[in-house]
Amino acid sequence: MKITLKKMVVIALTVISFGAVGIASAHHSFAMFARELEVVKTGEVVRWAFNSPHVAIYIRNAEDGEVWAFEGGAPPGLVTDDPPMNGFTFQPGDNVEMVVCPLRDGRNGGAIGIIIKDDIWYTPNDGGCGPDFDAWRDWYPKGYMSKQAALDAGEVIEEDEM
Amino acid sequence: MSLKKVYLILVAGVGLLLSGVTSAQFGSGNLPDEIPFPMDFETSTEHYDYLLDYYKGGVEHDYLSVPKWEGLWSTGATNGVNRPFFQEGEIVEDVLSPEYEAAFRYRLDLGGEAFNAGVDYDRLTTCEPAGLPRWWIEPYVREFLNTPTYSLWHNDLANDARRIYINQEHINIDGTHYASGDSIGFWTVDDELGDVLVVHTQDLYPGDFMRGTPPTSNGAESVEIWYEWWDTENQEMRIAVNIYWYDDLALLEPINIIHTYRPRQDMEDAGLRMRYWECAQNQNTYLTYDEEGRPTTQYRLPGDEGYLDPRGTPATRNPDLPPGLTGQEKNPVFDDAFDFIF
Repeated sequence: MKITLKKMVVIALTVISFGAVGIASAHHSFAMFARELEVVKTGEVVRWAFNSPHVAIYIRNAEDGEVWAFEGGAPPGLVTDDPPMNGFTFQPGDNVEMVVCPLRDGRNGGAIGIIIKDDIWYTPNDGGCGPDFDAWRDWYPKGYMSKQAALDAGEVIEEDEM
Repeated sequence: MSLKKVYLILVAGVGLLLSGVTSAQFGSGNLPDEIPFPMDFETSTEHYDYLLDYYKGGVEHDYLSVPKWEGLWSTGATNGVNRPFFQEGEIVEDVLSPEYEAAFRYRLDLGGEAFNAGVDYDRLTTCEPAGLPRWWIEPYVREFLNTPTYSLWHNDLANDARRIYINQEHINIDGTHYASGDSIGFWTVDDELGDVLVVHTQDLYPGDFMRGTPPTSNGAESVEIWYEWWDTENQEMRIAVNIYWYDDLALLEPINIIHTYRPRQDMEDAGLRMRYWECAQNQNTYLTYDEEGRPTTQYRLPGDEGYLDPRGTPATRNPDLPPGLTGQEKNPVFDDAFDFIF
């Protein structure tokens, strides 16, 4: 089984999250995010808020021209992530692609899964959205716009990638 | 003779208080050995006084000699959190009092239904103080600042701070209890542990401090033994604490918990500094309640009533200031293109 650093981090976070019954994950429920849905959003950054307890990014969605809001993890974890992030990582006007877990009620928001900027893949996410990083590395270049689309096309998530 | 050796001798005749409570490791990294209860104390105060007597009143430090624990620290390993109370999907028996076990079960049942339905209470959602139990375990960073007369320990989580008054008595002129209680302590030197800070905390208010742990009562108190501990596995110095948690109403017997904290030079190198957490401003979750009083987590978006800009909002500015006053934007770093009216 191939275990990448990213997988180890995901596994460790999963163990911690479940072991602590959510204590370690955030300060509120993630129930409003459809964590089982992972969709791609692209657009222009209008604001990146690098604040505790959660970072947030706002993009003008290329598809509908509207501003969408997404919540992520806490800054202490992001500054030592790989690649690291800070308050200047995403700036107004930057073009980004994102894998997100949308709000269940269909409004223009959700939880951050992955942010891609200048071909660099950032993961400022927390328990609100946990996309399979390696799977999306494979799927995204193929043009899939959602996890479901990838699965419908016959893509599989290898067990050791979960 | 070290305190731990004395404990072991005493414990041999007394028996463990913690039957039913495992000390299984939880978290990342090694744990130091548990320092068991030396005997059965009626109260945490009796326990603290025993230690004060055992260490002959402790030692007095000056600014040069007081142990220096500066820097940023994050949680290391622990055998605590919810493990003393909940394992393998079941409430651990013979730990909680019947009333508090029932309350814990009630809360877990609701929480189990709630998590996937957005009904997951967390006191921080409504900006309640994190509180002492959470101070120990949250995965954010801490600063331990020690002076000869008091220690001031910060937690990045919700600006929570502990003040431990050294060689002083408890004082409560306010006639109430607090989220972090009132803490006193003394420094000493243990043959085995080295420099040790013994802390006693009382006057904690009751709370469902963390998701997934039982509620605590207004009788909850603690005795803590803090010391530096060399983690051989990770080859680094850690700060360790052995906590004796008393709660006459919630627990059948006091429990013993260990936490460690690891230095985060990497975070300092990355430029992380602890900032004020503007809870009321920088998060947009809130709760609504159904007819049965069950909370549901909601999420505000830009344009929603009550939405707050995470980067800072003029909503808390003095409304008597002249509108349009130059230089009042909280976030002048970026020329934001955010065109919403909050």
